[in-house]
Amino acid sequence: MKNWILFLGTALIVFLLALLSVNILDRKSEAKFAYQPKVAIEGIEPRDSIWGLNFPRQYQSYLKTKDTTFKSMYNTSGHKDMLEEDPDMVILWAGYGFSKDYNSPKGHAYAISDIHETLRTGAPMEAGDGPMPSTCWTCKSPDVPRLMSEMGVTEYYSGKFSDLGSQVINPIGCADCHNPETMKLTITRPSLIEAFEAMGKNINDASHQEMRSLVCAQCHVEYYFDKKKPGAENANYLTLPWKDGMSVEAMEAYYDAIEFSDWTHPLSKTPMIKAQHPDYELYQMGVHSKRGVSCADCHMPYQSEGGQKFTNHQIGSPLANVENSCFVCHREKVDALVTDVYERQRKVKEGTTQLQREIAMAHIETAKAIELGATDAQLKVIQKGIRHAQWRWDFSVASHGAAFHAPLETSRIVSSASSIIQQTRIEITRLLADLGFNKPVPMPDFTSKSAMQAYIGFDIDKEFAAKQNFLEQVVPQWLKEGKARESKKSVKSISIN
Amino acid sequence: MKNNFKRFLFNNSLIPPHNWRKAATFLVALIVGLGFFLLKISNATSYLSDDPQACVNCHIMTPQYITWTRSSHREVANCNDCHVPHNNIVNKYFFKAKDGLYHASVFTLRAEPEVIRALPPSSAVIQNNCVRCHQDQVTDAKLESFVDNHIENRTDRTCWDCHREVPHGRVRSLSSVGAQIEPIKEYSPTDLSIVPEWLKESMKSQEK
Repeated sequence: MKNWILFLGTALIVFLLALLSVNILDRKSEAKFAYQPKVAIEGIEPRDSIWGLNFPRQYQSYLKTKDTTFKSMYNTSGHKDMLEEDPDMVILWAGYGFSKDYNSPKGHAYAISDIHETLRTGAPMEAGDGPMPSTCWTCKSPDVPRLMSEMGVTEYYSGKFSDLGSQVINPIGCADCHNPETMKLTITRPSLIEAFEAMGKNINDASHQEMRSLVCAQCHVEYYFDKKKPGAENANYLTLPWKDGMSVEAMEAYYDAIEFSDWTHPLSKTPMIKAQHPDYELYQMGVHSKRGVSCADCHMPYQSEGGQKFTNHQIGSPLANVENSCFVCHREKVDALVTDVYERQRKVKEGTTQLQREIAMAHIETAKAIELGATDAQLKVIQKGIRHAQWRWDFSVASHGAAFHAPLETSRIVSSASSIIQQTRIEITRLLADLGFNKPVPMPDFTSKSAMQAYIGFDIDKEFAAKQNFLEQVVPQWLKEGKARESKKSVKSISIN
Repeated sequence: MKNNFKRFLFNNSLIPPHNWRKAATFLVALIVGLGFFLLKISNATSYLSDDPQACVNCHIMTPQYITWTRSSHREVANCNDCHVPHNNIVNKYFFKAKDGLYHASVFTLRAEPEVIRALPPSSAVIQNNCVRCHQDQVTDAKLESFVDNHIENRTDRTCWDCHREVPHGRVRSLSSVGAQIEPIKEYSPTDLSIVPEWLKESMKSQEK
């Protein structure tokens, strides 16, 4: 009898143990789904709406970059015609796309529609047409890393803007900065990695806090298109000129050494450099960077919703959200903080406004000297001065945030440029006197964009009409093809509910 | 000792008859084997460590884990620093085993509440651990000498009666947190480098 009890008892224990193991396995597989994403993000997924299923808070805050209502003293999250604001710029960029159309930057969600609409990209009616290379898409979309991985990086850089119209349809989004498997921040643009290599650094050593700025530095930096890169001669190879340093002088020397110019100015015949938007470089010169504050700390501040703290993906001016961004460290009133920002901006703008007028006048005065028969040798030092002064002016204004990110460095750059352009205008005056012209050069009306564009001979109505045609005929076709291509890619659900 | 045990088994007829011995040995081996299997699938050894990810082996603790990884305590204290006693190592593991087995039982029975709260014995441990690190902030000899009820003020309540968001926030029910973004080791891939694989390969091929 006792043997039977022993036998049954043991069997019962085994049964219960087995039951327990089944329970453990059950709950382990449950854990894989509870608090885990709903859909599998496979490869480079350019559609934010798919990522949004897994990360609704981040996605919904990102969608708010569509908001255009924010206005600060000089900037806005909506549309603002910067040429109307500062018509001098039409002269500064004469002969270059920016003299046609230049608006203040809107939110990330507009990256694709804005590049379609700007007059700078022309009106290419067929693939292969148009003024711009495929490289222009590079910062606009998570479709770009997808294309680079499919086509090869050099091949991607080797086409025309119009070649990829139906491929690049999603505005800047999740896959630009996040690794789809781990959600960790990642670098998807080769130019930044190459720039680090050129400086002898390894980007893989970056800490998480550095990455919170470096993902922005994939685009918000000074860059140029290298057309002579060995092994990529047919490409417009996106390159950051950081090899010898990130200061305005170091990059200027870099460009001078390789005799690079973006275009030749039609008035002064100067080989010009267009500064792009050196946000990251200038931010590094400021006190916030020095104290270890990253881009995301102010532009994507933490926010709480329910029990969860998350990063607000409505990337934009911290002035729209002072409580969440500045208040983490500063305990002043909102008004006091905003006034401090405006003060820096106003004072720097005072300098840049004078500076840009002087440079515009220098272009026009040089054109007069050329008209009177100045030789290349006589013009050399003048053109060098104009080139450097305008590059420095552009460097300090093109990134919009410079006056706050690094007010001291920006003022320094502006005063160095002012000094250069003063010297240059003295040279021009001497040259004009030598050529027998000892009077003020007649100047156009600097107060209106249309007068300026008429002065440089730009027919805005013609380009505008061509653009409208392009927006009506070509763009809908691009988007339709792109959407049809994407609809073939299925989305795999990994949720159990 | 060994003989005593044998005698005890024989005296009480607990040894199966000869022709049953094989079957009995088999069954006992089965129990032992299942026991090892259980230790393995339940990740039992991880509970000996101080790794916070051991605490999210069972996903019920995910809200606590997520809120902790977003708090400043993340940098200086792990789960065990606050939730098990540190007066001596025996007590540490005794308390951990007691709490752990209680958690495991509740979890196995699917009896977990929507909002997990510390029980009184656990509260005492946590309070002691707050003081363990923050001693300098809570004892002030000067104040003690001239503020009447300074001692009572410090000892008749817990730290989190006032510091209510430390460190798990105020809202921490099972349904209040979103997806776990940062990888939990058990389910995460091994490659965590910054430059994606396709770009690494493309840059390598360019160097050639």
